[in-house]
Amino acid sequence: MFSNREIISTIEMLKYEHLDVRAITLGINLMDCMSNDLEVLKKNIYKKMTSIASNLVGVCDQIGEKYGIKIVNKRIAISPLAVLAAPFSSLQMIEIAKTLNDIAKEVNVDFIGGFTALVEKGIAKGDLALIKAIPGALSETQRLCASVNVASTRAGINMDAVLMMAKAIKETAELTANNDGIGCAKLCVFSNIPQDSPFMAGAYLGLGEADAVINVGVSGPGVVKKAIDRAVSSDVPLDLGVIAEIIKRTACKVTRIGELVGREIAKNLGIRFGVVDLSLAPTPTVGDSVGEIFKSLGLKDIGVPGSTAALAMLNDAVKKGGAFASSHVGGLSGAFIPVSEDLSIAEAAKNGNLSIEKLEAMTCVCSVGLDMVPIPGETSVDTIAAIIADEMAIGMINNKTTATRLIPVPGKKAGEFAFFGGLLGESVIMKMDHMTTPNTFVRYGGLIPAPIQSLVN
Amino acid sequence: MKKVIITILGQDKPGILAKISDFLYKLNCNIENVSQTILQSEFAGIFVVSIPKDLTLEELTKYFQENIKDQSLNIHVKHLDKEVSKELEVNTYIPFIISTIGPDQKGLVAGITGIIAKYEVNITNLKAVFTGEKDPNKNFMIYEIDIPEKVNHKLFTQSLRNKAKELGLEINIQHRNIFNAVNKI
Repeated sequence: MFSNREIISTIEMLKYEHLDVRAITLGINLMDCMSNDLEVLKKNIYKKMTSIASNLVGVCDQIGEKYGIKIVNKRIAISPLAVLAAPFSSLQMIEIAKTLNDIAKEVNVDFIGGFTALVEKGIAKGDLALIKAIPGALSETQRLCASVNVASTRAGINMDAVLMMAKAIKETAELTANNDGIGCAKLCVFSNIPQDSPFMAGAYLGLGEADAVINVGVSGPGVVKKAIDRAVSSDVPLDLGVIAEIIKRTACKVTRIGELVGREIAKNLGIRFGVVDLSLAPTPTVGDSVGEIFKSLGLKDIGVPGSTAALAMLNDAVKKGGAFASSHVGGLSGAFIPVSEDLSIAEAAKNGNLSIEKLEAMTCVCSVGLDMVPIPGETSVDTIAAIIADEMAIGMINNKTTATRLIPVPGKKAGEFAFFGGLLGESVIMKMDHMTTPNTFVRYGGLIPAPIQSLVN
Repeated sequence: MKKVIITILGQDKPGILAKISDFLYKLNCNIENVSQTILQSEFAGIFVVSIPKDLTLEELTKYFQENIKDQSLNIHVKHLDKEVSKELEVNTYIPFIISTIGPDQKGLVAGITGIIAKYEVNITNLKAVFTGEKDPNKNFMIYEIDIPEKVNHKLFTQSLRNKAKELGLEINIQHRNIFNAVNKI
């Protein structure tokens, strides 16, 4: 028996506060598909993926209907393609990318992640081919996501890879210039990439994972915001300790729903359940924004002084509540601050309250990094590489995941608008200093050695 | 020992439960189970009571009439029907919660419960809650139901949705576990 309040508050969360399951991501290990014959490899991949994933969308819809909750995205993450397709050339990798795109259409998932290379310590033959194939692969497909891990706390930063990725980003943007460089929205550069993230564009299935696994990305910035708003408008005396407690409790509820839904989907598919990712992931919808939480916390906008502290508190409270609710948490597990994907963050960028430097500072205390940041098209490869290196250093030193998803919008300048559509949203192009300043530092190449934090054994 | 069900209805005030339980104690009866609720100002209680072998239902009813002289209480005593409870145990049920939201008008409950009854689904709890002050849309009806496994779920939910549309209501039909996940730890 439930109290009226329990039932009504649950329904309100689902109906009016945008509580949903943001992503159900089916991880498929493709290592047993390996072959040095391209056609055989493609055939094996097609056969395995379509057989495991054929019911994914149907089962997700059925479970969503049963609980009255929206499951927004259904996705697939695969083994890192640079390893799986190591014998092949860049052109052949693009062929595999097209096969994956066809599979995504056939099983009706919106993205497949795993066009991935792990190069934090060095670049193998397959890795090189994959990185070179990224611009072609992302411009010739719609539903494929690429990610490259160029740094880790244990290995340091591979600056050769950083520079290559800066070039890949520029090329990808040029090849998708008609859509404001949308190819770059499907490309993440990582430090300490997690093996089990359900969120795109950085999802891939790590080599230490099972044959097939279901990972869940919950959401709920709207629920957190409304909970804070209710507390603020009530008569209860508030301090930040109390507000952190409210966020924690809300995150706990949100996570329990994610776990319930994820476990049931896994059970129905006969696949093991992996993790719940506790990230607060926004959408470009009013009431579903991480940026709005900052306003509820009493800041004029995300990006003004106090934002880093507020984000640190928010992120920590979300993790505490989530960790209590589920014993299997993983992925990125932190608040996202993707500029174009969050209406309020995009607004803060537009009105000048949020700078790229402040964004970088905020990524020290949250996941995932400089995410969905449109920058002027004329920004040089060197400058992009330097921004990536800075962000990777934050991840490496702080023993956490960071990433960049920068979009140098071809032919557009700071202050103009970039439109990506759908969940990818739209945003003003952010102002950049030193767009074309020569940068010898990033041209030295080599490895930035692993930090002292790596010596933990 | 035999079991009886005693139902008590009346205006709520302090001392109802004390009076009833003291009376049953003096007759050597044992209260096994009680559920009570208050709706606005009215008290309603159901007692499952085991009574001594030599006490008949008629005698118990008579004692109540003689001893509980409170005119505002309506007391009814009957045998516990074991046959029905056995039958309920055998079937498997899927617990769902239906909630409707929309302006109050005559016939809302009749409309929805009509569909529920047509599919032989049992309502275990029904509540009407008005949460809005001037907002007629904040009128919630909450039906906790047990759906027998044999019921065609698709047809049932479709009939409910059609009826809700006809009545101008927004309807949610959700498995109870989601409320458990959110509210119970």
